[in-house]
Order: sequence, then C-alpha cells, then structure tokens
Amino acid sequence: MARVYVSSVINGPSDRVWARVRDFNGLPSWHPGIAESRIENGEPSDKIGCVRDFRLRNGDRIREKLLGLSDFDLFFTYAILESPMGVENYVATLRLTPVTDGNRTFAEWTAEFDCPAEREADLVATVGDGVFQSGFDALKRQFGG
Amino acid sequence: MIRIVRSTIIDAPTDAVWAVLRDFNGHDRWHPAVAKSTIERGQSADKLGCVRHFFLRDGSELRERLLTLSDLEQTFSYCLLDTPVPLFNYVAHVRLVPVTDSDRTFWDWRCSFSTRPGMEEEMKRMVGEDIYDAGFAAIRNHLAVSAGVEEHT
Repeated sequence: MARVYVSSVINGPSDRVWARVRDFNGLPSWHPGIAESRIENGEPSDKIGCVRDFRLRNGDRIREKLLGLSDFDLFFTYAILESPMGVENYVATLRLTPVTDGNRTFAEWTAEFDCPAEREADLVATVGDGVFQSGFDALKRQFGG
Repeated sequence: MIRIVRSTIIDAPTDAVWAVLRDFNGHDRWHPAVAKSTIERGQSADKLGCVRHFFLRDGSELRERLLTLSDLEQTFSYCLLDTPVPLFNYVAHVRLVPVTDSDRTFWDWRCSFSTRPGMEEEMKRMVGEDIYDAGFAAIRNHLAVSAGVEEHT
C-alpha cells in the first residue's frame, strides 16, 4: 500500500477555503491541472456516491466517486474508479482545519493506493507533487500567499 | 460543556516542537505561567497515568494526569485532577502535524470542561488566552532561543 501525505497553510479562513474546494465538480475552478469536469447522471455534486468524470490539461481522463463529505469537519473522501495511472484501491481525503491564530487554514491531502512496487515512487511523486501540492499552491496564490 | 480550540503554525519541524512538548514534566521550562513541576511517586514523565504536580507563578497548586501519549502521532492528552479554579472534567488534547510544504508544524490544542454558572467567560479566557495562546508564544520564544544558542556553540 503506497501512501501520500501533503499539507500546507492557506492564508484564508477555513470556511472560505472550504467554499472553494467543497464542490466535487469544481476542480477546474481552482486546480490548475484540471480542464473540465462533469457529474454523471445529472446528480448533485454533494450527493454521496456521485461520480465525477474529469479531464486533465494533458488530456488524461479520470472518473472518481465521492465516498464522504462533511461540512462540519471540512473534509471529503473519494475513490478512483478509472484512470490511466494504473493504481488500484485508490482512496484520497482532502481535509481543512482552522488555524485559530491568524484565521488561516491548515490543509491536508492524503491518498492510499496499490500499484506495482517498481512504479510506486513515480506514482507517489505524481500524486503528491503533481496533483496535491500543485492544488495547494494554486489555493495559496488564490488566497494571497 | 465548554469547548476551547486553539491552533497555530510554528516555524520549526514537528520533531523539534515535539521534543519540547512530549515531556509532561517540562512545562516549567517553557510555559511562562508555570513555576515548578514534579512527577509524583517518582514515575517517569512518559508513563501513562503519571501525575504532574505543579505550581503557577501566582502560587496556585495543580495536579494533572497523563492520559495518552503517542510518539507516532505526536499527540498527548491529560486531565486536571486538582485546581483552585472552577474547572471541572477538564480534558485536554495536544496534537502536532507536519506542514510538509514548508517543514513547519501545525499545533492544535483543545479541551472541554465545565465550570460554575457565571464563570464561563472568565474560564474560557483563562484557558484559551493565558494558557494556550501564551503557550504558543512561549514555545516560539523557547525554540528561537534554543536555535540561537546552537548557532553560538
């Protein structure tokens, strides 16, 4: 089981950062790597079990299922259904926690998945740097550092 | 039941912050409110259930019991046993988490307690500001001083 953990501090209150990221169909509005997204079967994007079908700027297509969402604890969890990455049992969670000192946000993004051992280092880097950290970097820019 | 949550970012890796915080008997070396602390019955400060017996600078005498301690999660919990102020069923949790993109520390300090009617605001201020916020500032100062000492040696 490969694990990825990336965390950052966003210079905005957690309710505002949450408003930016909670839409399971909203990746293109804040994540620079995502070109377009839709929710299958016309379901609302906060219906647990809904599936997002999105396309990266490099053309890759990924389908992910929403497993959990909490407006109280500020996290959502999802699984990959289909992707070109060659991973299995991929489950990821994005979680926000208020930093009371300075009204900032502590953001954590974790993933666990199975893959062939020889591809693990590359996949951990792709997910951790290419997806998670680049998403946090974009949020930091959007919230002014 | 009153809940207090305070959190901050410390400009040091979690291992450096944890090295200071994990010593349940070490708060008299960094927290400005604590004058002197000892662990009762000669127990080790990282033995679950040990009791720290300490005095504040204003002379108050308190006892707290270590409930949980994890070097893996960098967390510990403790409860108040005796205090001269009306804090009842006080249980507190300290948690450190790495900020991976800048090698800093997210520090979350929270508790729940009850108090006498009319004392709520005073106790919230005392715990949240005089203990937790002041503790954050003290650790910042303590680590900066330590780093300065290392640079000179």
